[in-house]
Amino acid sequence: MSNKTFKIAVLIKQVPIPSKMRATKEGLMDRSVASMMNPYCKHALEAALELKDTIGEEKTEIWVISMGPPNFEQSLREALSMGADHAILLSDRKLAGSDTYATAKALGTLIQKLGVNFNIVFAGLQTIDGDTAHVGPQVAERLGIPHVSYVEKIDFKGDHVVVRRILEGGNITYKVPLPALLTITNTANKPRGPRLKYAIRAKNEEIKVYSVDDIGLTAEEVGSAGSPTLVYRVKNVTHDRPPCQFMEGETVEDKVNMLAEKLRELVEASKAEAVEA
Amino acid sequence: MSTNEKKQRNEEEYEIVDRSKQGVEGVFIWGQMMPNNEPHDVTFELLGEGRKIADKLNTKLTAVLIGYNVKKWAQELIYRGADRVIVVDHEKLKTFAVLPYTQVIYDIIQKEKPEVFLFGATTFGRELAPRVAARVHTGLSADCTMFDVGDYVNRRKKLKFENVLYMVRPSFGESKLATILCPLNFPQMASARPGIFIPLKRDETRKGEIIDFTPEFSEKDFVVDVLDVNVGGGEQIDLKGAKIIVSGGRGVGEKGFDMLREFVKVLREKGYKAELGASRGAVEAGYISSKHQVGQTGTTVRPDVYIAIGISGAIQHLAGMKESKYIIAINKDHEAPIFSVATFGIVGDYQDVVPIMIEKVRKGEMVFPVTQ
Ligand SMILES: Cc1cc2nc3c(=O)[nH]c(=O)nc-3n(C[C@H](O)[C@H](O)[C@H](O)COP(=O)(O)OP(=O)(O)OC[C@H]3O[C@@H](n4cnc5c(N)ncnc54)[C@H](O)[C@@H]3O)c2cc1C
Ligand SMILES: Nc1ncnc2c1ncn2[C@@H]1O[C@H](COP(=O)(O)O)[C@@H](O)[C@H]1O
Repeated sequence: MSNKTFKIAVLIKQVPIPSKMRATKEGLMDRSVASMMNPYCKHALEAALELKDTIGEEKTEIWVISMGPPNFEQSLREALSMGADHAILLSDRKLAGSDTYATAKALGTLIQKLGVNFNIVFAGLQTIDGDTAHVGPQVAERLGIPHVSYVEKIDFKGDHVVVRRILEGGNITYKVPLPALLTITNTANKPRGPRLKYAIRAKNEEIKVYSVDDIGLTAEEVGSAGSPTLVYRVKNVTHDRPPCQFMEGETVEDKVNMLAEKLRELVEASKAEAVEA
Repeated sequence: MSTNEKKQRNEEEYEIVDRSKQGVEGVFIWGQMMPNNEPHDVTFELLGEGRKIADKLNTKLTAVLIGYNVKKWAQELIYRGADRVIVVDHEKLKTFAVLPYTQVIYDIIQKEKPEVFLFGATTFGRELAPRVAARVHTGLSADCTMFDVGDYVNRRKKLKFENVLYMVRPSFGESKLATILCPLNFPQMASARPGIFIPLKRDETRKGEIIDFTPEFSEKDFVVDVLDVNVGGGEQIDLKGAKIIVSGGRGVGEKGFDMLREFVKVLREKGYKAELGASRGAVEAGYISSKHQVGQTGTTVRPDVYIAIGISGAIQHLAGMKESKYIIAINKDHEAPIFSVATFGIVGDYQDVVPIMIEKVRKGEMVFPVTQ
């Protein structure tokens, strides 16, 4: 075991590139398309990396943890290239069809199984595919630790953190003892890119893969069997907004002139309507 | 016999499970209070929709009201549709904190065994509901925009469930609507997107029961301290009443906001009701106060003309402005999502575009289609 004293876990999910997002015949997310690290998870990882910068690289260790198919390795390696130290993937066919309850059960059990006493766990506020914001709070409940969602500012104070979270029309600041779980919004920070000094490690580091058996759960407890909710049906939504008209012209002035013209037409049209009425 | 008839014949032999007769009863909503000690609008929306669901299930609608000095609101919730209001009034519950609130709702669920429990999908609701669902070991459907009650047939188990809650939510990047069911566990839990459901008309003849509830707390429910709550106050910004909103994002920068203020000033001089808006990106960067923020966690607006300048158009921003009559977007990235809702788009640097617009407005060469 290493003597790094401060241990951080970051929950990371890989999601389809938005323009490629589509449903399978069964109404589940098609995971075979081009994908990327969930944007909110990048902000969670950045929060972890900033904390590592604050506490000191030599004292801090970041574990990135993900549950999903083998190709999720892509995002885990990306996280390593940004400065994470260890990567864990929970991957098993039995996990297919897990809802947020079952996902949190699996992730929470995995974290306990790892036997690392994490001082802090970061999660993205939400994913852009599931878009529930459930998994973070539900993992915290499993682990029996406090959590705060919608976090956009973190001050590290040793045995506790002071965090500011978004609230409709303002914000609220909490003092939270550690260990705790925080879910991070996209306004919290600007995620860094990959760093050259981690490139080789990111390529070579072994990603430890766990199965459902490995963490001591059964097939009934995870996947669709272990999920209280089910997707009953999926329907298409149609949008009725006409596409954007882009202003054209050689110069900026031309474009603005064209806009002025378009607006004038609208004003004239509404005047004509008013006369008719 | 056609396959359809066969199917139906088979289903007639299925065992029927009536969700409303499994020892669970009633539709519950969380009556969310805000830091100013008034209910969030979504509370009334949930009462409106909850009333409909309760009527379909032929059961009662209960609101759970948690906070400090909140009892005075209980009667109001009855006027707005509740049959029962459970009041948990405690000094330590003054400001929202997820641990004690989870414990309170958990205790109430254990005692009352509701059939359905709805939350507003506000920032508090989306922090609280998943923790509650995990503690009571049930499912949760996020950010729903429609509800109904209906049957669910499980062919594998040969069971027919009656009176289950259909929870409909946008999914796959808002391109699809998914109907989620939670047939085996209770309560069937969902969070409901604010601003979607219709409140009932306030009716002072409505009668209901007000019940006090005293939760059992332990020390571990209060390990998190509230240090500061910061909501609005001060100078009032009338975004809702504006006919034209000039709105700036992170792409505008601090100095750029001076230019946008000038734009608003010139529009006002020309007699337009104009106001300055902003994205959260700009607010968080410290360019402007949060009172100007438009979007999911800011103000929802619907002006005649919305001018988005240096705003990428994140889904949370669009949620608060996409119903504007005309949207003009100025962004140097032609792929910015804001263009997906814009009427007119200019791809370019706002520092070049906006000064020309201001000049044209000043000279009367640019006019805007606004209603009186
Ligand atoms: C729970 C939650 C709630 C939220 N609520 C809200 C909300 O209510 N309202 C809200 O707005 N956001 C909200 N957000 C944040 C939202 O997701 C985005 O992060 C935010 O809207 C981004 O702000 P922005 O578009 O100004 O910044 P960015 O995304 O950084 O975009 C800046 C844009 O400016 C353009 N640009 C840069 N320079 C120039 C230039 N010189 N000329 C022209 N264009 C330029 C860029 O191309 C880019 O498109 C919320 C987020 C969460 C997680
Ligand atoms: N399969 C997963 N593996 C790892 N982390 C996850 C997974 N699903 C969700 N999370 C975490 O929970 C957050 C919220 O996800 P969601 O509840 O799906 O919106 C994500 O940003 C991740 O941090």
